[in-house]
Amino acid sequence: MSRLKLQQICKYYGATTALASGDLLLERGEIHVLIGANGSGKSTLCKVIAGSVRPDGGTFELNGKPVMLFGPQAAREMGICLFYQELSLANSLSIAQNINLYHLPTHAGGLIDDAELNKRAEHYISKFETVIGEGFTPDAPVAKLRPDQKQLVEIMKTLASEAEILIFDEPTSALDRSQVECFFSILRELKEEGRSIIFISHRMDEIFDIADRITVIRDGTTVSSRLIEETDHSTVIRDMIGEQPEAAALEASLAPQAEKKTESCLVAEGLSGAHIRNVGFSLAKGEILGLGGLHGQGQSTLLRTLFGAEKLQSGTLLLNGEAVHPTNPRAAIKNGFSYVSGDRVRDGVITGRSIMENVSPIHFLKDKTFLAFPSVLARIIEPALGALNTKYSSLGASISSLSGGNQQKVVIARWLTNPPDILLLDDPTKGIDLSAKSELFALVRKLADEGMAIILYSSEDGELLAHSDRILVFNNGSVSRELLGEDKTRFNLYEAAYSGAQ
Amino acid sequence: MTIMQHSNPQESRSALFVYLKNPLLVAFILIVLLLTAGEALSPGFASMEQILRLLIVAALLGIVAAGQNLVILGGREGIDLSVGGVVSLSAVLAGNVMDGSNANIIAAILVCLAAGGLVGLINGVGVTIFGIPPLVMTLGMLGVLQGLLVVIRQGIPSGLAAPALANFVSKPFLFNLPGIIWLWAAVGLLMAFLLMRTSLGHKIYAIGSNENAAYMAGVPVRLIRIMLFALSSMFAALAGICILGYSGTSFANVGDSYMLSSIIAVVLGGTPLSGGKGGYTGTMAGAFLLILMQSILTTLSIGESGRQVVFGLTLLVLLLFYGRSKALRG
Repeated sequence: MSRLKLQQICKYYGATTALASGDLLLERGEIHVLIGANGSGKSTLCKVIAGSVRPDGGTFELNGKPVMLFGPQAAREMGICLFYQELSLANSLSIAQNINLYHLPTHAGGLIDDAELNKRAEHYISKFETVIGEGFTPDAPVAKLRPDQKQLVEIMKTLASEAEILIFDEPTSALDRSQVECFFSILRELKEEGRSIIFISHRMDEIFDIADRITVIRDGTTVSSRLIEETDHSTVIRDMIGEQPEAAALEASLAPQAEKKTESCLVAEGLSGAHIRNVGFSLAKGEILGLGGLHGQGQSTLLRTLFGAEKLQSGTLLLNGEAVHPTNPRAAIKNGFSYVSGDRVRDGVITGRSIMENVSPIHFLKDKTFLAFPSVLARIIEPALGALNTKYSSLGASISSLSGGNQQKVVIARWLTNPPDILLLDDPTKGIDLSAKSELFALVRKLADEGMAIILYSSEDGELLAHSDRILVFNNGSVSRELLGEDKTRFNLYEAAYSGAQ
Repeated sequence: MTIMQHSNPQESRSALFVYLKNPLLVAFILIVLLLTAGEALSPGFASMEQILRLLIVAALLGIVAAGQNLVILGGREGIDLSVGGVVSLSAVLAGNVMDGSNANIIAAILVCLAAGGLVGLINGVGVTIFGIPPLVMTLGMLGVLQGLLVVIRQGIPSGLAAPALANFVSKPFLFNLPGIIWLWAAVGLLMAFLLMRTSLGHKIYAIGSNENAAYMAGVPVRLIRIMLFALSSMFAALAGICILGYSGTSFANVGDSYMLSSIIAVVLGGTPLSGGKGGYTGTMAGAFLLILMQSILTTLSIGESGRQVVFGLTLLVLLLFYGRSKALRG
């Protein structure tokens, strides 16, 4: 009898399907890895198991009996505990208090028993003794810890639940090699005790190091579940990609023509900053350079660094042969850079102001205009909006009256009044509709054909494969592989993203 | 059917609410109502001469509020609590430099504007470069200015307005209207032009609406914010000179009431404290409305302290209505 049996679990958020048919069989004494591309539904499935998301359908059996979970507390009482990907620590409390957060030891009167609290905390800290680093004492406040140490506290907190089923959703993202190994040896001990562990990670080498079984989820559906001996890297990746003939055909049809573009306009060497390490590339005029890989591997940071919005600590940047140091967006814009953020609410839209005011800033900056007569501005702004087929009632209408896709078009039109030399696209189609997406990419290709150099990061791999001439795959802040020509396939992209550097 | 019956009053209520949400319209309605009420309370209240007198006082407030308006429009909890101090400083400086002589008017204006500009520059630098919240920075500045004035003048009236200045403020100047009203009109035109017909205006609204987006679009956010604080103090300094002309001599606390009233005038006129929208036309109406209220309270023999209570309450009520229409962005 399986410890946990999930069948056809589904979860919808409005029109979005987070989970279509999630199946999972979890045995006693097993480390079970869940893997899938970004947004495939792994985290949702875990949250269903841990009781923090209520499923809309499907069956859920624990030790052979169907159960209904009402919240994380109920799940913990049944012996299920989840390590949250987004750390859920109480920053102002001490390490010991955080570790014991699920079961705070108390005196008879209800006051916290500090001696017992520290004793229990010490027990879990000692397991990691060799890798915890400086300042990791039970009474130290969590706020002062490094990111990896915070992650360890969260791991200890999960372990301290002493649950029979432990779920770890990307627990190793901030940890170094020795910390991961220490953690894995603890997991193996727990497995020997008969506990069941669900483990999510994007690091293929880690997965094959620790897993007994690998279950692949794609588009909210469980597609395969194999024992570790029966599978390998490429099988897992093929399961994650699935058969996608139309997409493949699209990617092939849009594949770039022969590499005729050689005149490079931007050359970067050894760029390093907060989240990027030693990034180098060369970008040619008329080229669309794609940045790929898992979320948050430094792609966005690179674009923001080039644009001067993040600090460049070291490295050289040559623009048309001349060294430039991006210090702020204003300087970068004057140098010919432009930047479109997918987070248009934070970085793009001038909230509540008119469409005209949202398009005008770059024109003002580059043409050094002081006067802003609507009739004069309209002559500059209307063609820019027209190039993107933007739908609006009048230039004076508030940008907030437009749909997300049209808002993004307005933000992009801002750059078209005075075309830049280099266009940085940071996941530009996030949250906009399909027709707006295709119009946007048609424009991007046209701009490239006219000689603009473009760097595109997209969280949608299909988009990236279809629209870039060349892809740099990012892993942990640096470029792990360059895909061009015939190598630019979904399989290679996934392999590079999940298997790390080659 | 039930739904229909429910939805109708709902709709008409929201339509009324839309009208009430237009602060400029509300301000004008209130002005007419207050004038009517004032006339009923004391005949002659709404006479031409009386309205002209109110306009002079409103112009003084309106000029201070122009600067306050700019700082508030710039967002990020922008507010200038030091305007009252600058008004007093400027009135005292102007009175002493002029010393009753027309020949010194130009020098006095230059000295006052320079002093105001300096104060505003310090405010702006404190807020942008050192990251001090505007509320704290300008309140601290107010304390410094008040302290300075007490040390210099010990509360004794000092200085003398030049006759030309006094005439400019209170005697008919052009088309039977005093110069100060023309000055206020000019300030109004200038502000409207600045905010609606120049790139600087666009940029001020941009940083007030979404500072980060403005920054990413190459707007020099810090420079503009410093400029707004400098302009605010310079408008206050200009008002200080006019106030000297209005009262003939200057006291160290002559500007005190302008801190609260300039903020109320701006909010009354439809610029929310969160910034990024509104404009000076509304503020002008707000300033006149406020002076009108003050005058009615005086007619009702309510003293200075009572008026302050009413003003404070007005601001609170206004914030309840308009201030929350746009949540401050994190």
